[in-house]
Amino acid sequence: MIRVLSRRLLGAIPVLLVLVLVVFILQKVAPVDPVAALVGAKASPAVYAAARHTLGLDQPFPVQFFHYVVHALHGNLGQSTVTRTPVAADIGRYLPVTLELVFMAMIFVVAIGFFLGLATAQGWRGSGVLRVVMVSGASVPVFLACLLGMLIFYRWLNVLPISGQTSFYDAPTGPTHFLLIDSLLAGRLDVFADDLDHLVLPAFCLALTPAVAVGRVLRSSLEATLRADHTRTARAKGLGEKRILIVHALRNSLGPVLALMGLQVAAMVGNAILVELIFARPGIGLFVAQAIDVGDFNAIAGVTLVMGVLYVVANIIVDALQSVADPRVAL
Amino acid sequence: MAISEPYVPPSLARSRSRAELAIQQYFQGTSVSSYVAFSALALMFFVAIFAKVIAPYDPLVPAGQPMTGPSFHNLLGTDTAGRDELSRVLVGMQTSWFGALAVVASGVIIGGLIGLIAGAAGGWIDAILMRVTDAFLALPGPVLALAVVAAIGPSFIHTLFGVAIVWWPLYTRIVRAEVRKLRASPHVDAARVGGASRWRLLRRHLLPGAVPVTIVTASLDIAALVLILASLSFLGLGAPQPAPELGSMSAQGVTYIFNDWWIPVMPAAAVALIAIVANFAGDAIRDRIRDR
Repeated sequence: MIRVLSRRLLGAIPVLLVLVLVVFILQKVAPVDPVAALVGAKASPAVYAAARHTLGLDQPFPVQFFHYVVHALHGNLGQSTVTRTPVAADIGRYLPVTLELVFMAMIFVVAIGFFLGLATAQGWRGSGVLRVVMVSGASVPVFLACLLGMLIFYRWLNVLPISGQTSFYDAPTGPTHFLLIDSLLAGRLDVFADDLDHLVLPAFCLALTPAVAVGRVLRSSLEATLRADHTRTARAKGLGEKRILIVHALRNSLGPVLALMGLQVAAMVGNAILVELIFARPGIGLFVAQAIDVGDFNAIAGVTLVMGVLYVVANIIVDALQSVADPRVAL
Repeated sequence: MAISEPYVPPSLARSRSRAELAIQQYFQGTSVSSYVAFSALALMFFVAIFAKVIAPYDPLVPAGQPMTGPSFHNLLGTDTAGRDELSRVLVGMQTSWFGALAVVASGVIIGGLIGLIAGAAGGWIDAILMRVTDAFLALPGPVLALAVVAAIGPSFIHTLFGVAIVWWPLYTRIVRAEVRKLRASPHVDAARVGGASRWRLLRRHLLPGAVPVTIVTASLDIAALVLILASLSFLGLGAPQPAPELGSMSAQGVTYIFNDWWIPVMPAAAVALIAIVANFAGDAIRDRIRDR
């Protein structure tokens, strides 16, 4: 596992460099002139040139790129062209809200995905219906899931809130910025429960498509393992089906599922933007959606970098887990 | 022509009869579910091609009272400006469908070409091309697409372009793997010994082998692209306001969800419908090609 981790961490460096390079190029391509955005369109040429020099934009591109990488490594992602606040500070404030959402969604993905996979692989009663649900579930755009979720759980059943992160104005704001953790640290169980309440529906909507995908892959992977020789041996020994499934088949079927979950994180961080926009959760998704509206490219670039890093890290974790589930992967 | 190459009849007489044969073969023993899937696919193409003819009203002009529910006159109701929702959804489906097809096609062409070159050339060309491809594969495509479109400015064409830029690496991997597998096979060796040129090897002996798996991947990919294009449009990165795009129509209607639910839900449901058709058709195509 350590070997896999170290190898993957080294391999991530060029990937992250490509990410930074892409974002850097996009910033150069963007039609917004950062100098004009800073000094205004009517600034005199001298002021303009001075600002250009302070921003380092009069230097050759490779030098600019080098500075960009160094700044990014120091956590300096530039200034929002609209609010004039450092992008990194904004992201630091909003990111925990998004991470809470994605973690919660991950729990749903695992729970629902494993339920679907096990139920259909074993042919439980009614699993034929589940298979249809699985094909259609993969086709539902996340915003349709959100809209229907709002109609069902708020309008008709009125059991879940649909807007924001918490309804408490005096909710604790530190020290970790994860409201679930902060509220527990502050001993505010009411805030904790309220936050969970606000989290369930968005997380479920975000989890729907990946959960279905996990279920499909787990099913086909389980079916292959259940036909393998060692399963037949286990059966010949007289073990019960449940024990064969849990002890002998499940772990061996996890490889493809874990690989898929790593890939699904990409869709999830993208979809989190829509979910946060619809449910008005103050995370980096809502932040970037607003940045798109006003054309604040520094903010968009910052969020792209952060989401890219999250994705790469998530996949390194997945690789490590894979080598735990199946030690042959580490070879 | 080299002796070891099989005799190939002149192309003019061949193309038609071979296509006919292929179609005949294709539908022999096709299961009921794949007939349903292919019929839905044909219907989808019909709707997409003739959307503007089928649409009962002009999608850009008011056709009744604003925000009326589904009725006989406006089957899916009207939107906030009184435009016919059904007409807008139909034209939006056309945009969605052809947009997704265009991006898949560009992914197949760009990715396939790079994969073909990498797989056939091998050596340092292969190493460099695949390092770049892997780096792109290791980054979250949807987020990069969003950044690209946000950088070059929102428009429908820019959306297609932005997604196409990040959508080729998958095809590079697939085509390269297929080509490398084929390169070691006896028929390619035979052709090489027979003196076939490098270009001829590529075109006649390597490329056709990579086609089936690429078609399967591409057809299963269409649904994902429909969803991504709709999501970008939802975020306001598609065509500007009155244009009937499913994602932006849904986004505009989100505030009316509790009083006039059809305004945001109908376009979103249309996206789901397209994706379902694409997924089922993709599955059917995969089954057909795998069985052969």
